[in-house]
Amino acid sequence: MNGALTLSQSDKRPIYLQIMEQIKQRIAVGDWAQGQPIPSIRQLAVDLEVSVITVKRAYYELEREGVIVTQHGKGSQVASTPGLGARLRDQELQQHLEQAARIAAQLGMLPEQLEDRLREVGDRLADKEKEKENELV
Amino acid sequence: MTDLAIELRGVSKRYRHFTLDNVHLKLPRGQIMGLIGANGAGKSTTIRILMGLVHQDSGEARVLGHSMPAEQVDAKWDIGFASEDMRLYDSMTLAWHINFIASIYPNWDASYAQLLLKRFGVPPDQKIKGLSHGQRVKAALLLVLARKPKLLVLDEPTTGLDPVARHEILRELTNVMADEDRSILFSSHNTQDVEQISDQITFIDRGRIIDSMDKEAYLDRWRRLRLEVPSGIELPPLPGIIGIQQRGRLAVATSNAFVPGLANAYENSGARVQRIENMTLEEIFVANVERSREEVEA
Amino acid sequence: MTSSVVGQLILKDWRLNRLLIVLSVALGLVALFVAQFGSELARLFGTVWFFVSLIVLGSILPGTAIVSERKKQTLAFIMSLPVSSVQYSLAKMASIWVMFLVPWLTLLISAVVLVATRNIVPHGIIPMLLIVAVLPLIGFCLISSAALLVGESEGALVAATIVCNSSYWFAFYLLCHIPSLAANWSRPVAVWNPAAFITLSAELGFIALIVGLTLFFQSRKRSFI
Repeated sequence: MNGALTLSQSDKRPIYLQIMEQIKQRIAVGDWAQGQPIPSIRQLAVDLEVSVITVKRAYYELEREGVIVTQHGKGSQVASTPGLGARLRDQELQQHLEQAARIAAQLGMLPEQLEDRLREVGDRLADKEKEKENELV
Repeated sequence: MTDLAIELRGVSKRYRHFTLDNVHLKLPRGQIMGLIGANGAGKSTTIRILMGLVHQDSGEARVLGHSMPAEQVDAKWDIGFASEDMRLYDSMTLAWHINFIASIYPNWDASYAQLLLKRFGVPPDQKIKGLSHGQRVKAALLLVLARKPKLLVLDEPTTGLDPVARHEILRELTNVMADEDRSILFSSHNTQDVEQISDQITFIDRGRIIDSMDKEAYLDRWRRLRLEVPSGIELPPLPGIIGIQQRGRLAVATSNAFVPGLANAYENSGARVQRIENMTLEEIFVANVERSREEVEA
Repeated sequence: MTSSVVGQLILKDWRLNRLLIVLSVALGLVALFVAQFGSELARLFGTVWFFVSLIVLGSILPGTAIVSERKKQTLAFIMSLPVSSVQYSLAKMASIWVMFLVPWLTLLISAVVLVATRNIVPHGIIPMLLIVAVLPLIGFCLISSAALLVGESEGALVAATIVCNSSYWFAFYLLCHIPSLAANWSRPVAVWNPAAFITLSAELGFIALIVGLTLFFQSRKRSFI
């Protein structure tokens, strides 16, 4: 668990958000399994060299979102809800899509145009994957 | 046993050219408080009063439950103090200082001291006068850290240090937090350090406390709103906005009591909110000091 | 626990200043040695340098032990220890007095033994020797009290040093003109008359008064640093 998270100085967002994001990522990719114990608030604060209150806030928000569970006196663990990893990945996708839609709206693009662009990007990505597979063969 | 490591109530001290006025401060046990202020704002005076080195003119100071300065001897058994204007004996070595301190304090942890010597890289057998500034600061901090005191009071612990040394110090300070019975008060110009490791933040300017509260809640109150103001539209004055800078059609509004309603209020007035940004502690510091100076001049 | 802090502070001062003390004792003993040689010049040289070594020690020691602690900002380091300002002052008084008395007694006893065992000067001079030897002690007392009480500027120390060091000749002049003291110098035996006792007691009493007042005013300080 040591060194599981790293904070970036150049990331301008509040530290508690960075912590939340990294914990969700670990769960989303499967590094941290459901029901697995996670470092105590104080321990994580010491490891990351940040204030206890910041980690407390991150854990509080994560608990509100149902991502982790804290039992008084027993510490915290990843929530045991089935499909948590997939749900988090889906949330991440949703956030990116919303941001794309916002930027598209600022540029004056219509939703259909955005859809076309997205298909373009998806196709190009799939082509690249096929090329890689062919090279390996 | 009290829950407050430090409690100052209505503390005042008058000097010829400076007055510390009605200072209220509370640090709960197990927390870190960062004290920020410009030079001459009163950080050092506040710290000296809570160490019992200076007797306040009025008000109460209690540290680890002891009244200061009356019970300063009892309190100082459990307090580790290091300040920027404090010096060790030039003609003696760090090893001599270690022996000196270890012979006074029974809870000196020799193995932790050895570990710190290695981590900090300060040569123990060299005279203090031969050490660089950074090494001297680390030497003084080693002498307080290895005692594992219940309260650390540090005046500018990372000032003038190179990034590596700063990081070494921050690591040891956050290690202290593993013990929920130990507390730290430190003053610093380095707002990044304060922002990173403090649980509580106290702002002091011109002898007065401007703000003293929980860091996350504090940072959450401040926002910078970037606005696009079409011609003919005038931005309404709104509660919680402490400053607006406008140039042409772009304006930046600074808020110290942000609620989402503020953004809506601007949108309703005809301006467009481009972005709402969080502010770093340094930006908040500058905004606070500038506002307090304007108020004094008004 | 606290008594050991005071003890450690005294030991610390001794450790920091021991070179100075050893040098002044050495100088004083050399002066005494030289004073034994027959010629009048040697005797004068030896006598003067005997007193000079005490006067110089009395002038330098308050500077190195008291003022430099404040100037070099080690005072904050010491006051961060579990000691009150009163305890600090007591420890400081104790340590500088011990540091001065050790060489002073050493040299005084050496001088008295020298006079008593060698027949170079009449023994009648012994009471006068003691009375005059207390003068550097008074000087040291005044200078160190000034240093302790007025810590913020070196000016007080310098002023006290100049005043004391330039007054020794006058004190000596006064003492020489106490008839019942001066008359007995050349006697072969030491004469302890009331005049001698009163003078000695007055000197020591004066020292006790200054020390007491210093400690009193020190304890009333509200801004120790």
